Amino acid sequence: MTVVEAQDVRKSFGSYDVLKGVEFQANEGEIVAVIGKNGAGKSTFLEMLMTIQTPDAGGIHLFGKELHCLSINEKEQLRKQISVVLQPTQFYKTMKVYELLKLFQSYYDSTKDVNQVLAEFHLEPYRRTYFDKLSGGWKQIVSLAIAFMSQPRLLILDEPTTGLDPHMRNMLWNYITDYNKRMGGTVILTTHNMDEVELYCDKVMLLNNGIAEVLDTTERILERGYRSIHEFYLQNVTV
Amino acid sequence: MLATQLKYDLLMFWREIFYVVFTIVVPPVSYLFMGQLFGEATYDGSLNYAETYTPSFILLIAFGVIFFAFGFEQVTHRTTGIEKRITLTPVPKRMLLLSAILKSIILTSLGYFLVFSIGALVYDLQFHLIDFLASYGFFIAMNAVLLVLSSAIYSFFTNQNSALVFSIVIFQLVMISGGFTMPIELMPKFVQTIADFNVIYHMNQLFIAIWNGQLEWTGETILSGSFIAIVFVLSLCILRLKQSK
Repeated sequence: MTVVEAQDVRKSFGSYDVLKGVEFQANEGEIVAVIGKNGAGKSTFLEMLMTIQTPDAGGIHLFGKELHCLSINEKEQLRKQISVVLQPTQFYKTMKVYELLKLFQSYYDSTKDVNQVLAEFHLEPYRRTYFDKLSGGWKQIVSLAIAFMSQPRLLILDEPTTGLDPHMRNMLWNYITDYNKRMGGTVILTTHNMDEVELYCDKVMLLNNGIAEVLDTTERILERGYRSIHEFYLQNVTV
Repeated sequence: MLATQLKYDLLMFWREIFYVVFTIVVPPVSYLFMGQLFGEATYDGSLNYAETYTPSFILLIAFGVIFFAFGFEQVTHRTTGIEKRITLTPVPKRMLLLSAILKSIILTSLGYFLVFSIGALVYDLQFHLIDFLASYGFFIAMNAVLLVLSSAIYSFFTNQNSALVFSIVIFQLVMISGGFTMPIELMPKFVQTIADFNVIYHMNQLFIAIWNGQLEWTGETILSGSFIAIVFVLSLCILRLKQSK
């Protein structure tokens, strides 16, 4: 089943054309990486999927619904099926981890037990820690725990592992792949870490100067003769 | 959902020392301190210190809470990315707004009763039910005006530091030109001119009159009421314009 479909999506900021006709598709249960250099339009594209940016032209379908046609209320309903992790992770700094989870639980009408979430994400020792006092890695884990708490059908991650140490990165990816396998959830993410793309992602979209130049499975990309996704990136992205 | 949001909004307020000091601590302490200095003075011919400055300091708390814990907080949330993160949840915006308004009403009402209690205990302030209820009604209406005004003003800020500097400067300006430290008539001419354009000063004058059951429809009263109404409508227009953008 197609979860996300974008057709000829265009977006400009003033005279700067960020997206020049992007075609994209993500199916249920896929992990899709959106890659490209800084300023390539990755975050803008993701924000459109998050329903907080609108394309100037073209259409985006989420779960079969055309975003352009949805009312504010319908978008709010749609967001119940989507969770996001932003870069950098920001929440109320004077709230404790447990309180943050309780607050977001109320936003999503989630029935998932907060104590269970704390245990699953190894956050029990930090339940009374203020969010602002956590390290960058643990902030990201809290963000992911909040994202998973609503048991979303679509998870959107904007550079989720940037600035994390290898241990934290590994931990984060374990949660993501576990969610993907157990719940069949779709994951769309941006990253600059090509090793992670090769290791964990099913599909890759390469954005280059506002155009989706490649949208294919990692396997098929490697079959083209590249030794790694890293090499594919370096050879296809214009500086 | 609303109860949970309100609970945590209030909790976050109490944990933010900066808000608590400027809103709940400074005004009552100033009220007590000023009372020690000018407690024996008479104002406007017949009013004593408590009758004049109790409504003033209640209004100052309302101003502090709404400008710091509502307006400035909006800038903080906008600039740190919290607003964006919350926008990405299915929570309706009107629910968040309602919680923020309820928080402001609860905190400012707390200030209302705190200053009134200090006035009653320390300065023998008299309680008249009708005046008290009329004052509370006016106070809630001024809360609404201040909420709209602070939203409009802080909607122009995209930087937390400049909003912080503005907040501290505006607090001082309001303290001096709002009639909270000493009667405006005793101030230099330029402060009196600033006061004429200070909406809080006009609110203060009306509030003192209502508090003491002395409201009369004079030219001055109508001018103050009209000025507040114009500022309110202008702020609403700014908010509408910003929203449409």
